[in-house]
Amino acid sequence: MKTLKFKTNINCGGCVSKVTPFLNKQEGVESWEVDTANPDKILTIESDGVTEEDVKATLQKVGFKAESVD
Amino acid sequence: METINIFETKKKNHKQGVKESFPVTGMTCASCAASVESVLKHTEGVFDASVNFANSSVLVEYDKELSPNQLQNALREVGYDIIIDAEDPSEVQQELQQKHYQDIKNRTIWSAILTLPIFVLGMFYMQWEPGKWISLVLAFPILFWFGRSFFINAFKQAKHGKANMDTLVALSTGIAFLFSVFNTFFPEFWLSRGIEPHVYYEAATVIITFISLGKLLEEKAKSNTSSAIKKLMGLQPKTLKIIENGEEKEIPISSVQVGQTILVRPGEKIPVDGEVSKGSSYVDESMITGEPVPVQKSQGEKVFAGTVNQKGSFQFTAEKVGGETLLSQIIKMVQQAQGSKAPVQKLVDKIAGIFVPVVLGISIVTFIVWMSLGGDNAFSQALLTSVAVLVIACPCALGLATPTAIMVGIGKGAENNILIKDAESLELGHKVNAVILDKTGTITEGKPLVTDIFWKDKLEDINEYKKVLLAIEAQSEHPLAEAVVNHLKDENIEKAEIASFESITGKGVKAQTENGSPYYVGNHKLMLEKNIQIDASLMQTAESLEEQAKTVIFFGNEKQVLAILAIADKIKETSKMAIATLQERGIEVYMLTGDNNKTASAVAKQVGITTNYQGEVMPSDKAAFVEKLQAEGKIVAMVGDGINDSHALAQANVSIAMGKGSDIAMDVAKMTLITSDLQSIPKALELSKRTVLGIRQNLFWAFIYNLIGIPIAAGVLYPVNGFLLDPMIAGMAMAFSSVSVVLNSLRLKRVKL
Repeated sequence: MKTLKFKTNINCGGCVSKVTPFLNKQEGVESWEVDTANPDKILTIESDGVTEEDVKATLQKVGFKAESVD
Repeated sequence: METINIFETKKKNHKQGVKESFPVTGMTCASCAASVESVLKHTEGVFDASVNFANSSVLVEYDKELSPNQLQNALREVGYDIIIDAEDPSEVQQELQQKHYQDIKNRTIWSAILTLPIFVLGMFYMQWEPGKWISLVLAFPILFWFGRSFFINAFKQAKHGKANMDTLVALSTGIAFLFSVFNTFFPEFWLSRGIEPHVYYEAATVIITFISLGKLLEEKAKSNTSSAIKKLMGLQPKTLKIIENGEEKEIPISSVQVGQTILVRPGEKIPVDGEVSKGSSYVDESMITGEPVPVQKSQGEKVFAGTVNQKGSFQFTAEKVGGETLLSQIIKMVQQAQGSKAPVQKLVDKIAGIFVPVVLGISIVTFIVWMSLGGDNAFSQALLTSVAVLVIACPCALGLATPTAIMVGIGKGAENNILIKDAESLELGHKVNAVILDKTGTITEGKPLVTDIFWKDKLEDINEYKKVLLAIEAQSEHPLAEAVVNHLKDENIEKAEIASFESITGKGVKAQTENGSPYYVGNHKLMLEKNIQIDASLMQTAESLEEQAKTVIFFGNEKQVLAILAIADKIKETSKMAIATLQERGIEVYMLTGDNNKTASAVAKQVGITTNYQGEVMPSDKAAFVEKLQAEGKIVAMVGDGINDSHALAQANVSIAMGKGSDIAMDVAKMTLITSDLQSIPKALELSKRTVLGIRQNLFWAFIYNLIGIPIAAGVLYPVNGFLLDPMIAGMAMAFSSVSVVLNSLRLKRVKL
């Protein structure tokens, strides 16, 4: 188990509803959440094998951006 | 390297891109806008996408090979949507029809241009040898290029062992041409036998030209494909507002689900079928019932897609969406009805189907007889006369018989304010034995008017009360109030001053004048509730008016009823007479209306329809009634003015719309009465009878020519006086026959309907 964090442009509840079906069916994701109160809209993923590249690719399919938080 | 290639390919495709703007739904913030852009840009075939979040639209530049549906699918996968105008198949059909008309027109014009010199050569320079060669060269493209469809169709018919008008044309012109070519190349064949070789180039080409002209007239008389379907679809809004978790949200109509709460604002169309859950308003339901007065809708009552909200706002729960709404059902049924009618086989094709084998038979018999009795030149004479029989079987007049009569018939209709869009209606009209009439807007004016005001006996200061009544009604939003206002305005009455105004749902209104006196305008319930006394004679009058299907409005102060007003949709002056005329001709007349049975009964009696009427009839029931009569073997004419009539109009054998009715009814119907005067109906049916008579007379002229010409061509006069058919005489006879047909058609113009 590994925790991944990303800065995103998942801005509001509407945006969360857009990415929900895609993250939910992403393999290797144990759980995830977006902190829309945070200006950087931090996406936190409990990884069970999913990589940062996988997450970025999935979000891109939905039209959203993700950058790793270091 | 790969990158460069992709760039080049993309740049090349860029020149063939389509730029289009679509409304977008599902965006809730600027990030969604970026999301939409990103999804589209990553869709194969999309060159660029730019979202305008402020007005919820996206400008997309994409490969022309890509369809908007693919863009829509890409966005839907992510939870957004764009709204696409579905292409109407009717439009495509309309374009094809227009192109077809243009083709025929070009062919006809070119045939005429090339035929003219051939005709001149044939009639005046028969002995000039080069004339034959010139005619040959000119005739070839006329027959085999501009007239190629005749030969193609004839070949198709022959493969099925059948014959029609095209067979007759192909046979006649083909034989004439081949015979003429032979005579041009090998004149010595005949000269050596002491026979003058004739050519029939002008006969062949004149036939092609005239038949093409006939087809052109026929095509012009055909109905333009109806755009009614598109207009019906336009009744449905493309987006709607739902209320979800207390928030307003706009979504495309295709996304709405049963059970969702929908908000409707003043002036908006109801997007789907449902039940009112909050608020109330008047809704114009004429699309469904045909009745012009908006109906009040309150909690628990049904509303339907396509109907129009008036001045209030309300919310309703979606119950039927998409293809299940009543409006969608009407659209489907109109489409089915329009497409399901079998084309009436042309009379002329029936005749040609018999005529061709007869002519072929005569030709063969002619050949045999000449071979048996001919003597020295038997074969030559046999061949010559049998060919002449085939050539002389002139289809010209046959081809012109119908279209010329119909052309004149349509013109005659226009003179009498009857627009005829479809030639078939003109041919069918004379067979009509049942006419179905809508009530509102067809038999009646379609507009509520005050017909009577009865004031209480011995009432003083009636004029003062009129001022109060006018002031109250001018402020009311009840649909019938306008009728009262219009009526009182004619008396040049000034409004009294109203200090307060209150609407009482379902009953009427209460108002106070500046001096504090209260007044009420409304229905009987309101008077009872407020304990307002009604004079016995006024009450009697009110009951009598209601028996006449009039709406009764009461006007009173807090003590007593001062007046009652009767409002009704007046029957047009000519309706009764028109119906009587139709009935005298043995035509059954029916009245169907979406209005209540009581009103239906009252109106039917007033116009002389004793039993054949029904009230509370929905649009599909009207069409079902048409089908029922048709199943009984009747030829049915449907007359209507509203959207609610469109299905029945599409189903009817002959459809007639009121000129002052809805565009959709006029689009579906094949005839339109411009003045909306029902007296035009018997005129239209009479015009049909005259036109069909004209067609039959034309066919007589066509046949009389063949009846005389064919035996002469066969050589029956030869034993008598040695006369054989001469091409010049053949051409003149042909022209005479066609002129007779045209002149006879023109006689129709002087007929009084």
